Amino acid sequence: MIDSLAMEWQKLRPLHKTSRMVALAITMAVVVSAIVAAAMASNGAQMSLSDRRGFDSVGTSLQGINAAVLVVAAFGALSVTREYATGMIRTTFLTQPGRLRVLTAKLGIHAAVAGVAAACACLAAFAVGQALLNSAGLSVGWGNSHLAAALGGGVIYLVLVCLWGAALGALLRSSSSAITWLASLLVVAPVIVQILPQHVIDLFGRWLPSQIGQQAISSSPNAHSFSAWIGLTVLAGYVAVTLVAGAWRMARTDP
Amino acid sequence: MIEVRGLTKRYRDRSVVDNLSFRVGPGAVTGFLGPNGSGKTTTARVILGLTEPSSGTATIGGRRYRDLRHPLREIGALIDPGGVNPNRTAVEHLRWLAAGSRLHSRRAEEVLGLVGLAGAAGRKVSGFSLGMRQRLGIAAALIGDPPVLVLDEPINGLDPEGICWLRTFTQALAAEGRTVFLSSHLMSEMAMTATELIVIGRGRLIAAESVTAFTERADSSVRVRSPQLDLLEVALAGAATSMWRVDDALEVAGIGIERVGAIARNLGVQLHELSPQRASLEDAFMRLTADASEYLPQPAA
Repeated sequence: MIDSLAMEWQKLRPLHKTSRMVALAITMAVVVSAIVAAAMASNGAQMSLSDRRGFDSVGTSLQGINAAVLVVAAFGALSVTREYATGMIRTTFLTQPGRLRVLTAKLGIHAAVAGVAAACACLAAFAVGQALLNSAGLSVGWGNSHLAAALGGGVIYLVLVCLWGAALGALLRSSSSAITWLASLLVVAPVIVQILPQHVIDLFGRWLPSQIGQQAISSSPNAHSFSAWIGLTVLAGYVAVTLVAGAWRMARTDP
Repeated sequence: MIEVRGLTKRYRDRSVVDNLSFRVGPGAVTGFLGPNGSGKTTTARVILGLTEPSSGTATIGGRRYRDLRHPLREIGALIDPGGVNPNRTAVEHLRWLAAGSRLHSRRAEEVLGLVGLAGAAGRKVSGFSLGMRQRLGIAAALIGDPPVLVLDEPINGLDPEGICWLRTFTQALAAEGRTVFLSSHLMSEMAMTATELIVIGRGRLIAAESVTAFTERADSSVRVRSPQLDLLEVALAGAATSMWRVDDALEVAGIGIERVGAIARNLGVQLHELSPQRASLEDAFMRLTADASEYLPQPAA
């Protein structure tokens, strides 16, 4: 297993694309968090006292993960599909014939990189968001009791989505179809769901990955959503099902 | 030592490899010969654990590829010039192979030197010519210093100098006692490189023997010239399986050169020429695979 991990790490290390994707995810998270926080700060003057009391300062500062999520998903998917596209997968299996060992190592290394990137993205987004909210007196600072849970939730959400991307990549073997599916599930589905009647949204909206991500960073629970940890468990379930299918295809179908 | 036993690979109702068995021993370059589409690549892929056979086995030193812990140290392979992420440099590509085989990353530079790519180590593979990619593929095959090598169509894309290099290189590897299994559809090249042959057509074994035995087995003939050729032709008709005239000479098949000489002496005819005609590897191959070729041009109806 150590050499499988070393192999995947060695593959990832020199690629400028890897560092570019990590940088992109962090930048997107910071920029979107900054925009949301700035918008909230400019509204700050009109907010009533009860609004201010109920304001989710931490969650607002972390809104950027909604922008980073697609980059992280694509990072996971490409880790597998790019090998199939270039034919490099054959060289990989010549070096390490154990299909599942290769997949496990790939998931481990990519999850670790995604985790570090997600942690940087969340911390940077929070720092920038808080700085902007501070002008309207809406910041809570680093001592907030909910901060650790929200940061942890955001990082776990992004790592799970990265694994989901890799699992879909193993299942579909094509960059374009894997990324289309991920974009549909993560970005398009929530938009489409918005046009449904409210009682339907209340009933099914909680199963959407985006809704789960939102709850993971939020400090104000929503009656029609799963709580943060249940939501992340549901997402882990999606990942597990896709992963079983992807692993089955990787092991059974010739590269 | 590579051993293939009763190997069959079917895709739906089509058999690409059909009950194929052969052995490839150490210390020699063994050519794997067959027309395009005869199942060479499928067989190589099965040996390398990339294709699951419908039935039969392929083993390297008695073990299946998938059971090898660090396969690149036991068997090196070149299956296609692809298999590389073009955004990587040559040395980066080899470094992850070394990492996956628990070899020192220094091996990457060493094998690049062996194949003459030391100067291109830091260049991206996307800028490589097909010949350079083949050399990189051979470097990858050598990274674990394996006792067995499987090279599928390695001379594709090589320039004449590269072909010459590969010939001496593979022969030197075999001389070190390694098993070198080299597939090609180019017979002329095989005649110069290999000493042993596995010949297949339509996924079936046609021959497994030395290059010399293979060319001898293909019908060779005897060429005779004589001022009394008509007389001799009548006398030989009973003994030969076939005869044909080539200009002023007669070529006789299915009869030894000594018999032809004896018959001529008994007749008292004068001979101007009596010589053996050896079929080339190319002729032998064409004759033996003529009915095994998958894609022959069909005459227009």
